[in-house]
Amino acid sequence: MKTNAQTSVSICKQTLLAGLWRENPVFRLLLGMCPTLAVTAAVKPALTMGLCVIFVLLCSNIVVSLMRHLLKPHLRILMFTLTIATFVTIADLFLQAYFPTMSETLGPYVPLIIVNCIIICRAEACASKNGLAVSIIDALSMGAGFTLALCILASIREILSTGALWEIKIMPDIFTPWTAMRMPVGAFITLGLLLALVNAITVRKPKSAAQ
Amino acid sequence: MSKIKLFIRQSWLLIVSSFFFGLLLAIADAAWTPRIRHNKSEKLNTLMSALLADAEGFQLAAHLRIDSPYAKTIETDIYKAIADAGQTVGWAFNASGFGFADKIEIVVAVDKDFTKITGFDVLSSNETPGFGDRIKSPYYRNQFAGVPADLLRLKRTGDPQTIDSDIIAITGATISSQAVVSIINSTLPSVKTQMRQKELIDNEN
Repeated sequence: MKTNAQTSVSICKQTLLAGLWRENPVFRLLLGMCPTLAVTAAVKPALTMGLCVIFVLLCSNIVVSLMRHLLKPHLRILMFTLTIATFVTIADLFLQAYFPTMSETLGPYVPLIIVNCIIICRAEACASKNGLAVSIIDALSMGAGFTLALCILASIREILSTGALWEIKIMPDIFTPWTAMRMPVGAFITLGLLLALVNAITVRKPKSAAQ
Repeated sequence: MSKIKLFIRQSWLLIVSSFFFGLLLAIADAAWTPRIRHNKSEKLNTLMSALLADAEGFQLAAHLRIDSPYAKTIETDIYKAIADAGQTVGWAFNASGFGFADKIEIVVAVDKDFTKITGFDVLSSNETPGFGDRIKSPYYRNQFAGVPADLLRLKRTGDPQTIDSDIIAITGATISSQAVVSIINSTLPSVKTQMRQKELIDNEN
């Protein structure tokens, strides 16, 4: 009994850490690239997108985990999509009602969360195989990992393209804004460099551990 | 009979959850739609008030359909701008058309006789940041304040300070600049004609 509890705790711990680094959806699994590239021109929209994804991921993981024993294998993707679409629409309506400017900035990218691979991947890989607790932790950890990655990318791009962070000016006056960073090219370059950095760190880690 | 049984056994979860999720969406929609509508009309009101400074309130005057050569039929709402004393100080209407990246929705304000445009503003657009989205910049928008309410022309070079029917394009965003001019050109004359037919404005002008 005790070992059972211990293993479940360690599973929870592992799941919690997986999303943040080991299986970070953006940097390690390269999932959900569409919002990663599209809404990271500034930190505010990136954070909003991250929170929306956390909400949808949490709700869809809970629902999928609860109905996991009832799912028919050939109908499961249909069920996942139905669940995800419902919560995305709710999130979209909520943004339109309470944050109209943000909803305009994010434009079509909120409805596009429906086809975000992270959510369907977590439903398939985790929630449809695990209990409620693990699914909830998984959703929070993956969502946090996604949000964190988006915010890192967005901070770099916002500082370089406008000289400000969270719309507060932080760069000296002599700094010339790099307008290219606001455009898709800036997203691709920043993401590429960040992926290279993450790869460099993960390649170095096992070596130092071996020594 | 067994086929129906099989069908139900396979799909009952899908059917039940469709109803459940549908109900969830209906609740969310019912709860937030009034707020969303309110947000939209608030934004339109703010933009119209900025364009027609003398106006104290706006009243929906007409709903027109315009056959545009650039797009399908454009539907537009005409708002009458009313000052404190109750007299009409101008008109505003919304119009839309295709920009460089996506649909551009604008609101155009004209004076009370439909002789001059007092300005326009962007309700929604998705133009390229740094280039096309400069249709929202004062450089471009100020060129429309006070031009005759007639057909406009887009020019590549010229003096943007001169207020006449020649609108000077934004460098690097000719398509977006042309889009706004086209939207106004395709709607304003028809709105004017239809307003005269409805005798909402005087026929002399």
